[in-house]
Amino acid sequence: MDVSNILASHAAKYQSITVEKETPLEVDPGFLTVTDLNPIDEESYNENLEEHLQSLARDGIQALYASLFTLPTRTSPDGPLAQLPPPKTQLPRAKPLPKPKPQTKWEAFAAAKGIQHKVRDRKEWDEERQEWVNRWGRNGKNKQLEEQWITEVPLNADVDHDPRKAARDARKERVAKNEKKHAQNVARAAAANPRDARKQDIEKTLATTRISTASMGKFDKKLDGEKKIRGVKRKFDPTEKSVADEAKASVALLSRLESDSKKTRREPQAEESVLNTRKAVRFASKGRGGLALGREAAGGRSSRGGRGRGRGGKR
Amino acid sequence: MRPLTEEESKAVFTKLANYIGKNLIHLIDRQDEPYCFRLHKDRVYYVSESSMRLGISVARPNLVSLGTCFGKFSKTGKFKLHVTALDYLAQYAKYKVWIKPNGEMPFLYGNHVVKAHLGRITEDTPEHQGVVVFSMKDIPLGFGVTARSTVDTRKLDPTAIIVFHQAYVSSTVIRFLYSPTPSDVGEYLRDEDTLF
Repeated sequence: MDVSNILASHAAKYQSITVEKETPLEVDPGFLTVTDLNPIDEESYNENLEEHLQSLARDGIQALYASLFTLPTRTSPDGPLAQLPPPKTQLPRAKPLPKPKPQTKWEAFAAAKGIQHKVRDRKEWDEERQEWVNRWGRNGKNKQLEEQWITEVPLNADVDHDPRKAARDARKERVAKNEKKHAQNVARAAAANPRDARKQDIEKTLATTRISTASMGKFDKKLDGEKKIRGVKRKFDPTEKSVADEAKASVALLSRLESDSKKTRREPQAEESVLNTRKAVRFASKGRGGLALGREAAGGRSSRGGRGRGRGGKR
Repeated sequence: MRPLTEEESKAVFTKLANYIGKNLIHLIDRQDEPYCFRLHKDRVYYVSESSMRLGISVARPNLVSLGTCFGKFSKTGKFKLHVTALDYLAQYAKYKVWIKPNGEMPFLYGNHVVKAHLGRITEDTPEHQGVVVFSMKDIPLGFGVTARSTVDTRKLDPTAIIVFHQAYVSSTVIRFLYSPTPSDVGEYLRDEDTLF
């Protein structure tokens, strides 16, 4: 009995569960993706496109399912769940690579001379205290000279030489110098792209010239494709904001205003204490002021008024 | 209509603090009803939250005024107090000046307060301090800035200026105030077209 016919018809009905390709399909179960690297079969493509695509898709899905069934599973109330491995396919980077930072003057010099960058520790060993202390900042070692209780004064020092002030000034100078160098580095980096700088400069000049006519540019001939000059748009809080929040912000502003004594008029001290000092002084000195009162308190005899009136009768 | 920015609030608060000092907190943090400052057409309005919320629905060109106008911002960004703020200034004023009846009219015509017209003055008023000017019947007439401190005024001659006037209520308003039911206090003769 020949069963080959039956087998062939059965095989045609249920296509094989193994997918045979010249180049094996690349399956990435982590992303649930299949990539077919085989060249397109031109004959079947031209003959019937729909059927060709369907058979391609069927093969791909079959390969994916086959790989899924080899994965370890976990039981769940909805039936077994396959545990996907981490994806293998490398996705391209979403953002462009960061641009390298412009070199500072020192970095350029160090690179030219081959000087290696040494990482300086934030802490420094203090021999006297036998502990690690901050190099700068709070209780920093760089302030040691101005904070120690006794300082050696050089022999040829001036009379008004203040070693603490000298040390502090020197430190402040170093900080200022560093800041200046930093500003210079920033300026140098900004000027590194002269094209951009020039473009900005031209745009600024153009905007200025456009409004530099008698009508502030209102009645000038418009060129094709000329853009409207837009300034910086102001942004305000919404009107319908909670008034309670607004009051809170106002109170905070008020307290800041009060602490900023330079900008607002200083409150007279009388308000803070129960005693009105100015009034009390005026009362005690009988309107002659605090100086007279002080003179009287220092020594009654030396005061002019006391002698004149008080002992005049004994004469 | 919009809330003030920080710089604007700073300008308004410093100006108000010159007259009412720390009482300013009573304007911001009110017990009865929440009030807020709103800017509309360069003018600063002191308005209750409920009125402000009603005012939101009015289109900007149609909105003439809301709440109490406290003053306006000049084109250079300085804040100028208007006499409409007098009610609140008088209520919370720290330093006050009372002027005699014969000095009321000269003040209301825009002159400075001279010493001859000075009835009473708060003790210990410093120089260049914002003060509210009252009539002897305790009716607020306007506000100004002292030219001299209280102590210094004693030595001055009667024609010397004590208070530089800043704003005053016109006499019509005073008549309304004197009448038993002050119905329409909105008639500010001199500035009525620019006040709001």
